[in-house]
Amino acid sequence: MNPESHARAKHLVAQERVEGISQSERDWLASHLQDCTRCAERARQTDEALRGLRTAAILLPSGLASRTQFRVRLRAQELREQAPKRRTLWFACALSWAFGIASAPYVWRLFAWFGERTGVPKLVWELGFGLWWTIPALFAAAVLLMENSRRGDEPDWMSQGS
Amino acid sequence: MGDEAKSIARGLQKRDPDLLDRLIEQYQYRLFRYLVYVTGSRERAEDFFQETWIRVLERGHQYDGKSKFEAWLFAIARHLVIDWQRTKKPQSLDTLTDPEQEHPLQLANENEPSPLHQVLSQENEETVQASLQKIPAIYREVLVLRFQEELQIEEMAGVLSIPLSTVKSRLYRGLEALRGALQGGAA
Repeated sequence: MNPESHARAKHLVAQERVEGISQSERDWLASHLQDCTRCAERARQTDEALRGLRTAAILLPSGLASRTQFRVRLRAQELREQAPKRRTLWFACALSWAFGIASAPYVWRLFAWFGERTGVPKLVWELGFGLWWTIPALFAAAVLLMENSRRGDEPDWMSQGS
Repeated sequence: MGDEAKSIARGLQKRDPDLLDRLIEQYQYRLFRYLVYVTGSRERAEDFFQETWIRVLERGHQYDGKSKFEAWLFAIARHLVIDWQRTKKPQSLDTLTDPEQEHPLQLANENEPSPLHQVLSQENEETVQASLQKIPAIYREVLVLRFQEELQIEEMAGVLSIPLSTVKSRLYRGLEALRGALQGGAA
């Protein structure tokens, strides 16, 4: 037997356990292991090591599951309590926006009337109107940005299972 | 697997507390064992165990049931450990996880018995099992995922966020290291 056959046997012994080998490779390996005690011993050691790994037992700390379940339920409760606040916020934003759109013509006239009465330049009261109308949008954008920046902290791996 | 994974995904979307209770019971041993092997410490593993399930609750909507739940679970646990290591040590994540580095993911002080060794000693593990503490954690981890958790190599690549070829090379090196450690222990 040449050194290459031992090297091949060594590789196949590992490959068989890690990712599997073909039938012809298995036949070749079996016949090699029959003739080579050193390689056969290596294969036996590898199997023994894997058996040890598979049977390795770790004692669970007592009450680990129940403590974890308790913590998880507490956190779930916190999240549930936060959810209505967020919904209320979005509802208020949407309502304010809808009201802004519906009342825009009237508010425009109001701003125009106020501009005429006070002698404020047209550009200024128009700008005031624009600002008044975009405040809900700006507020919603700020909320969105905050939410996104929080989600941005989540690493990519979080979604790899999905 | 598909139906079960889908039903888990649906439950996680709704943050179903009963489902979470069941999953914690069901996966407690496997997750804790994995964390003990990765962190080398029971206490730390216990902390990460609880944190992992909190993350599962919070980010459960990101699991859609297309892959095995345990692969997603281990990925969460692993990244919590890595994040913790990143804050603990000033090295980059690559330094800690690159198998070609001189000191990959080694938590133990060489001058002291490793925590994993202490854990194994406390629990009267056999010589073969105690030999595991001699293997760098990065190899121990792939061996645990492959031969204890019986994940497929593709699933492992997902959990570890590394290419298939790297998973395989770590497995070959880990297997050789395990065999060597066993022989060293026996000698």
